[in-house]
Amino acid sequence: MERQIPKLTPKDRLEMAKEKQRNMRQRMEFVDLHAEWLRKTPNKVWSKQQKVLLDP
Amino acid sequence: MEFEFKGNRLKFDKELSNLDKLVLKFVKVLDAQHVDYVIISGYIAILFGRSRNTEDVDLFVEEMPKEQFILLWNALGEAGFECINAGAAESAYEEYLKDQLAIRFAVLGTIEPNFELKFPKTKYNRYSLKNKLFVELNGEELRTSELELQIAFKLYLGADKDLEDARHLYKVFKEHLNIGLMQAHIQALGVAKQAERILWKDKYQS
Repeated sequence: MERQIPKLTPKDRLEMAKEKQRNMRQRMEFVDLHAEWLRKTPNKVWSKQQKVLLDP
Repeated sequence: MEFEFKGNRLKFDKELSNLDKLVLKFVKVLDAQHVDYVIISGYIAILFGRSRNTEDVDLFVEEMPKEQFILLWNALGEAGFECINAGAAESAYEEYLKDQLAIRFAVLGTIEPNFELKFPKTKYNRYSLKNKLFVELNGEELRTSELELQIAFKLYLGADKDLEDARHLYKVFKEHLNIGLMQAHIQALGVAKQAERILWKDKYQS
């Protein structure tokens, strides 16, 4: 079956641009939250959690 | 996060990830060969807790004569690293490093993570090699770009992950940074608007 590629209107593009901005804002909010947590968390604790992410 | 930060020295301990261990192993070879270097990549943000991974660790190494580079090539080989984009020391030196291109080393038989080595080319490359932060990690030393430059340069690079790294480093170390120095880098790199958006506001505004 042939794929129907979406035809984007200016309104769609605006919506997508807003979504991109929203995603970035949320990622930055997470960066802040995470940095704040790091600052008050002992190295042993945060680095153990980071290791889980880095060494799956 | 506990650390001691004085001048160009930062001392801290953490549970090492495999990436941290690999970086320490790699720079130990550079140290043994008396090759000056500076780590300049996203690894710096990861070293200081950022919750992301990376496939490469970028370094500038001081420009050196071919004979010294061959010794370094051999020493890296003996330590279990191989160059993944050049087959021999001679061509790596002549066709890549001397031509301002990067060579990449990875653990034998793997492709990532890898270490991307370059000779410094621009004024800022040379600045970063000259003005380093000496990090003592679990009693072992590694050398990174000064944090004020690293943050400004991440703003200059400008991809989403770079902007996040910049904000991360700023938020973690803000009381310890030389803000005047960072402002000077921001001005020199022409990223004042990005700094306004990414760093200075307490809450990020898109």
